[in-house]
Amino acid sequence: MTYESQKVAIKYFVISAVFFGLQSLVGLLLILKYIWPDPLISILPFNTARAIHTNLLVVWMLFGFMGGTYYVVPEESKTELYSKKLADLQFYLLLIGGLVGVIGFLFGWTAGRPLLELPVELKWAVVIVALIFIFNVFMTMLKTKKWTAVQGLLLGGLAMLAAMWLFAIPFFKNLTFDYYYWWWVIHLWVEGAWELIAASLMAFILLKITGVERQVVEKWLYIEVGLVLASGIIGTGHHYYWIGTPGYWLWWGGIFSALETVPIVLMVFDTLRHVKHRKIEIPDRLVLYWTIGCALFHFFGAAVMGMVHTLPQVNRWTHGTQVTASHGHLAFFGAYAMLILTVIYYALPKLKGLTQFNQKRGFWVFWITVSMMLTIGLAFGVAGVIQSYMQRGLGIDFLTVQGFMKPWFIAVFIAGLGFFAGVILYVIDVLSLAMKKS
Amino acid sequence: MESKAAKNLFIWATVICTAVFIWLTIDTHLSIPKRTNTDQLTDEVVSGKRVWHKYNCNDCHTILGIGGYYSPDMTKVYSSRGENWLKVFLKNPESPDPQRRKMPNQKLSDDEIKKLIAFFKWVDAIDTNEWPPEPITVAKATGAPIKDTAQILKGKNVYNQNRCDLCHRIGGQGGVIGPDLSHVGTKRDTQWLSQLVKNPKSINPTTQMPAYPQLSEDEVQALTGFLGGLK
Repeated sequence: MTYESQKVAIKYFVISAVFFGLQSLVGLLLILKYIWPDPLISILPFNTARAIHTNLLVVWMLFGFMGGTYYVVPEESKTELYSKKLADLQFYLLLIGGLVGVIGFLFGWTAGRPLLELPVELKWAVVIVALIFIFNVFMTMLKTKKWTAVQGLLLGGLAMLAAMWLFAIPFFKNLTFDYYYWWWVIHLWVEGAWELIAASLMAFILLKITGVERQVVEKWLYIEVGLVLASGIIGTGHHYYWIGTPGYWLWWGGIFSALETVPIVLMVFDTLRHVKHRKIEIPDRLVLYWTIGCALFHFFGAAVMGMVHTLPQVNRWTHGTQVTASHGHLAFFGAYAMLILTVIYYALPKLKGLTQFNQKRGFWVFWITVSMMLTIGLAFGVAGVIQSYMQRGLGIDFLTVQGFMKPWFIAVFIAGLGFFAGVILYVIDVLSLAMKKS
Repeated sequence: MESKAAKNLFIWATVICTAVFIWLTIDTHLSIPKRTNTDQLTDEVVSGKRVWHKYNCNDCHTILGIGGYYSPDMTKVYSSRGENWLKVFLKNPESPDPQRRKMPNQKLSDDEIKKLIAFFKWVDAIDTNEWPPEPITVAKATGAPIKDTAQILKGKNVYNQNRCDLCHRIGGQGGVIGPDLSHVGTKRDTQWLSQLVKNPKSINPTTQMPAYPQLSEDEVQALTGFLGGLK
C-alpha cells in the first residue's frame, strides 16, 4: 500500500465478507426447503429467501468490486483518491440500501422480477450510489499522468455495469420484452461488465505478484477482454431460445456462447504463463493459490459447464431445471467469488501494513470452499440431469420427479454445511485481519 | 501481436459485435408483436402480470423457464390445467398431503385470480420455438396414458379436484369405498360414465355415490374422456 486513501477499501472488504456469510446461511435454508416440508413457510417462504440469497450475492460482490477498485485505482493512477469522503458516503448509502432491500423483502416489498426484486425506489438509489462511485473513480483517474489499460478497462466495466442497470428499472407489459431486457442486466453484467472489472483487477494482481512487464500483461488483458465482449454481447442470445424471440437466436446464441469459452481458456494459460515467467519470487503462496484456483474454477464453472448447457440441443431439455442452478453456483463461485477473495487476501494485509501473517486459515478457507462448492455444483448437476430426463424426457409430473432428486438435494445440504463452515472461517479471517493494529 | 494491435482488436471487436447485437435487437422488436400476440395483450393481462410480480411468484416458479426452480413452470399452465382448475387452486393451493411441497396461500382476491389467469392464458400462446419439448418416450406406470393431451389432463384435474380418489383408486392409488377405475375404459364407454357422474342413482338406485350436478358439460366430457381412456 502506498496511498493513505486506499484504506477506505477495508470497510468494503469487511461488509463484503459478512454478507457472503449471510448469503451462505440463507442458501442452507433454501436447500432444506427442497428436502423437508417447510416449517417457515408463513414467515420466510422460498421466494423471499431466494430473493435474499441472490441479492446478498450481488451486494457482497459489489462491495468486493468497489473495495478492490478503491485499492487498485490510487496505485494505478499514482495519486490519492479524488475524495475519501465520497467513498465513505457511498459505502454507507450502499450498506443502508442493501439492508433496507433485504428487510423489505421480508415484508413483501418487492418488484417481483427474479434477481431484480429491489423495488423501483431502491433501484434508483443504486443508480445514485453507482454515479457517486464512478465519479470518484473517474476524477481520481483524471489526475493520472499515464492512462493504463487496467484503469481504462476497469472504468469501462464500471460504466457498463451502471448503464446496464438502467434496464432493470422499467416495468415491461410484455413478458417477452421483460426477459429480453432482463438479460441485458443479468447476462451483460456477468458475461460483460463484471468480466471487465474482474479481468482488470486480476491483471493488476498478476502484475504485482509476478513482476512481468506491464506491456505483456496489458496486451493479454486487451485480447481477453476483447474476446469476452466479442463473444459475450451476442452470446446474450443463448437466453433468447425459448422466451418468444425469433428462432435465429438459436444459431447466434449457440455459436457465440461456444466462442465465450475462448477468452476464459486464454485467461488460464495467461495466468499460468505469467506465473511461470515471473520476474520476482512470489512469497505470498496464499494469493498465488487463489489466483490460479480462480482461473481454473472460472474455466470449469463458467466455460465448460456454461458451454455444455447453452448448446440449443441440450438447453431444450435442461432449460429451467436444476442444471441452471448447478451452472449458476459453479460459475459465480469460480469467476467472481474466488476473484474477490483473491483481491481481499492480496490487498487486506497490505492495507494493514502486514508483511507477514498466518496464512493457515486462508488455506483452509481455500480448500474447504473450493471442494464443497464443487460438490454442491455437481450434486445440483446430477439433480438437474435427473429432472431433465424424467420430467422433460419422460413427461413425469414435476413433484414426483422432485422426489427422485431428493438424495442429491441432501448432498447439496451436507456440502453446503461444509461450505458454510469455510465461509465462517473466511469471515473470521477477514475480521481479524481488519482489526489487527498495523 | 503488439500492444497497439491488441488494443485495436479490443475496440473493433466490441464495436462490431455491439452493432450486430443492436441490429438483431431491432429485428427481434419487429417480430415479437406477432410471436407474442400483442393484440391480445389487454389491460387485464397486464394487471395479471402485476399480480404475478406483486406476490413474487417468479422466485418459486419459472415462467418461460426463467425464475426459481422450486415449483412447476407456468408457461403452459393454462392449457394443461384449464381455467377452472386454476381458479380453485389459486383460491386455496394448500395440498392435503403434509409430506408434499406446499404453496402458501397468497389470499388472492377473486379479481386478482381472474387477472392472473388472463396473464397465464396470454403467456400460453407465446411462440416459444416449441419449448417445453414434447416428452420423447411415454412412461407407463399405471393404466393411464402419461403423455396427456390437454383434454385428458383437464379430465384428470376434474378427477383430482372433486376428490374422486377418496373413494376410487387408479393404479393402486386412492380409496377403497368405490370400484377400482384402473381399467374402467375396457368395461364402460364415455356415455355410460357421464350418465353415472351426473346421476348415479339412475343407473344403480342403491349406490352410495353422490351426484355431481355442479360439473359443467365440458368438465363431465373431459372427466369421462380421461376415465374412458383407462384401458
